Amino acid sequence: MSVEDVGALIQLLVACDGHCEALLLLSGSLPADDVESLAQEARIDMIVSDRTDLHSARPVSEVLEMAPGQPGSSITPCKTEWIMTTSGTTGRPKMISHTLESLSRTVSRPTEGAQQNIWGLVYDPTRFAGMQVVLQSLLGGGVLVVSSPQDSMGQRLALFGNEGITHLSATPTLWRRFLMQPEISSLALRQITLGGEIADQTILDALHRQFSDARIVHIYASTELGVGFSVKDLREGFPAAWLDQAPGSIAMRITEGTLRIKAATTSAASGAEQQMAPDDDGYLDTQDTVEKIGGRVLFRGRDNGTVNIGGVKIYPETVEQILNARPEVMISHVFSKKNPFSGNILIAEVVISPGIDNEADLKTDLLRHCRDKLPKEAVPALIRVVPDIILNPAGKVRRS
Amino acid sequence: MREIISNIFKGIWVEQTQSEPPVLTNDTVLLDTGLDSLGFAIVVTRLEEELGYDPFSISEDAYYPQTFGEFVEFYELHRPKA
Repeated sequence: MSVEDVGALIQLLVACDGHCEALLLLSGSLPADDVESLAQEARIDMIVSDRTDLHSARPVSEVLEMAPGQPGSSITPCKTEWIMTTSGTTGRPKMISHTLESLSRTVSRPTEGAQQNIWGLVYDPTRFAGMQVVLQSLLGGGVLVVSSPQDSMGQRLALFGNEGITHLSATPTLWRRFLMQPEISSLALRQITLGGEIADQTILDALHRQFSDARIVHIYASTELGVGFSVKDLREGFPAAWLDQAPGSIAMRITEGTLRIKAATTSAASGAEQQMAPDDDGYLDTQDTVEKIGGRVLFRGRDNGTVNIGGVKIYPETVEQILNARPEVMISHVFSKKNPFSGNILIAEVVISPGIDNEADLKTDLLRHCRDKLPKEAVPALIRVVPDIILNPAGKVRRS
Repeated sequence: MREIISNIFKGIWVEQTQSEPPVLTNDTVLLDTGLDSLGFAIVVTRLEEELGYDPFSISEDAYYPQTFGEFVEFYELHRPKA
């Protein structure tokens, strides 16, 4: 299913879970070609959509009419696999299998007399983080507030303020944008969740200042491994003591600079086992580089060479290739730098061919070239012309 | 300072949107100008190259300016003493 209307999507999930073999949840904004090819790959029998550009799709209303309980329905109950996608680094989504049970494992059930939680939804509900918000709010007995996809950031926050949301979950990049909107002051949040990217001390402090009474939680989750933990002490990273005694049913250690996790119970992340083999003690490499400083373990980035720019994973080498393709560029080095607005930003250093005297024009030209060839997050924020670029002994551009 | 920031902002605005930059006043809400957070990330990076400092990394406080006036003020406040 690729459905833009969140209300319709939820109705479909309720109607279909337990009555079909598998549900493939695809974003309502996924290009039509990708929807068709992923559906084929997952051997899907029927595409349901409220989009106009998916010609083979059945309308939502038609499928809801076929649902069990409706006259003439002959569907027998079964256990349903929920196939969701995770952002791959190649741009094409990667499929990961779940069940409603595994997805709602951390959902707290409503308790008698408790204050009702009102959740705002800013994530795509077909992705893991968004589905967590949907399930947590609805199965947890709360309310879910969804804005129209056409709403601006300011309109969305104003709606959340009017509806009195108490819980909001977003990436650090989105939180930075929220804090830059005057409408942020209309929110009275009791719980703030950050996930999907490294939550640095700056964003935690800024949120604590704006919402001094709110519980602020940052989540570390490895979708591939299907495990994670949350940190609630308002500090970046996690306590080094967890390397000896981790919370929940996991064990952690640092090997060769990356975080390794061993889960007591392997979850439903079925794609994981094929890609990653655990070491002799059963620990899996998260590929997240970490550093132990004092009593804290801090996240530094990804070990697979990607950098996260505003929530998008980029290989700096790809940008170098684009720059090196130009005759004016002899060699380039692209690296990331921390930035308060987008988490990281790319900077390109280039050595230019002899005989080029107008550097300003060349920089403008190279940036235009990058914008034509790359997603906007991958375009360097700055191009610096340098006399030389240091190579490592293997003759490669040095990466640190 | 205001002029340097304003010029860099407008340059990036033209680069990103290929259209006439907006008029910037103290009350202009940064994200309402049409430049997104990635755009502001670029503004801060180029300003550091031009001015030699980044107030966001100097400042002890975690601060996210909302208006253009607050943005300029933050740069003035954290200008390194000569």
